[in-house]
Amino acid sequence: MIGFLKRWRIGAATVVVLLAVLVSAAPAAMARTLKATDTAHLYKVSVSGSNLIEQGKATGTLPGKMRATVNIGATISGTFTIYVHGVGTITGHGTAIPHGSGRFESFKGSIVVTGGTGRYAHARGTTGLYGTFDRESEDYALVIQTTGTLSY
Amino acid sequence: MLRTTFVARTIPLAIVLLGLCLPAVTGAVPSSGGRALGPHMAASTPTASLSASFEPERLGGRTTLRFGFQIAGPGGQVPPALTAVSLSYPESLGIAFSRLGLVTCTTAQLEASGVSGCPEDSIMGFGSATAEISLGADLVGEPVPLTILRAPDEEGHISLLFDAVGTTPLNTSAIFPGALLPAPAPFGGQVSIDVPLIPSLPGAPDVAIVRLRATLGPSGVIYFKPLEGRTIVYQPPGLLLPDSCPKGGFPFAAQFSFVDGSHASARSVEACPARAARRHSRR
Repeated sequence: MIGFLKRWRIGAATVVVLLAVLVSAAPAAMARTLKATDTAHLYKVSVSGSNLIEQGKATGTLPGKMRATVNIGATISGTFTIYVHGVGTITGHGTAIPHGSGRFESFKGSIVVTGGTGRYAHARGTTGLYGTFDRESEDYALVIQTTGTLSY
Repeated sequence: MLRTTFVARTIPLAIVLLGLCLPAVTGAVPSSGGRALGPHMAASTPTASLSASFEPERLGGRTTLRFGFQIAGPGGQVPPALTAVSLSYPESLGIAFSRLGLVTCTTAQLEASGVSGCPEDSIMGFGSATAEISLGADLVGEPVPLTILRAPDEEGHISLLFDAVGTTPLNTSAIFPGALLPAPAPFGGQVSIDVPLIPSLPGAPDVAIVRLRATLGPSGVIYFKPLEGRTIVYQPPGLLLPDSCPKGGFPFAAQFSFVDGSHASARSVEACPARAARRHSRR
């Protein structure tokens, strides 16, 4: 009987330790991924030389508002924040190469998600970036589409 | 590799000059005192200077970029023929917002009909190049008008065409293709131009471009657009200057490559407007 109690105590201790290990590992194991496609229609907040600050509505998997600081030159580069309705923000940066002529200049590149706030505080990912820039519009209209997988 | 096109037309006056100068030209490429450069002279490098300015220069406003370069051969000789130029411009310069080059013109259109065969809305600027050829002991210079046009993208890059039409004495036209490429800071990009070799006379060196002055912007450019059944004539707004001047001014740089393998480079800084105003008032 004494031997049985000793074995039970050792077994119980082992279970407690295992539970502790599992609980501490839980946040990592619970990281979620999201396959997202979003489109943002952005308009000028301010412009200076080749630098634009734009914001507008984002629709799709992560609906909300997007604000971006963009430099349009031989390459297009910039940083962005997506304010997802009620759950947090996603931040990152991206680069793209412009193509085409005429009123609409298109561009293609990639976005790197580097973090965020709220639900997306640990957001990470690399997504494709596609878009058009309206060269004739007074408000420097940009349409940006992103598609890829986000982990958070 | 970008396509390079060269169109040589008749050279009537050059033929006359050929008759006058042939003995001197074909006698030998002079090793000293002459103006032609052979491969044995590749070690001596040409020198170049670059200029750039904005007109008007008003921070936050629209502008035309005026740029130019001048090339001198070693010892004051005619430089070897230019084969490539790369012009880097400041990173803060809003070229994409200029609304210049809304449509494109192709090399085939230019070859077939010249600039008049291209849509007006493809014109982005004008200029003039000076070409020099050695005819024996004589040096013949030819001013050549230039037109800068937007071309269809090449290899994923925004492309330009530089159309040069000479009339006297060479009566030669050439089309230089250019591409807009990324450039490291403090530059926003570079216009990389392939310059075709332009033969002058049998036995004489290729034509050397020694000077170029050009504008990129609305100065002298007129566009047309339909509006409610009418055609509106307008001037595109032009390059957008930043609201604040980059520290140290607006930097420009150019790299030149020559047929003999030599290279030259030049830099220029356009001062910030307040300093520029003081500089102009001292003149």
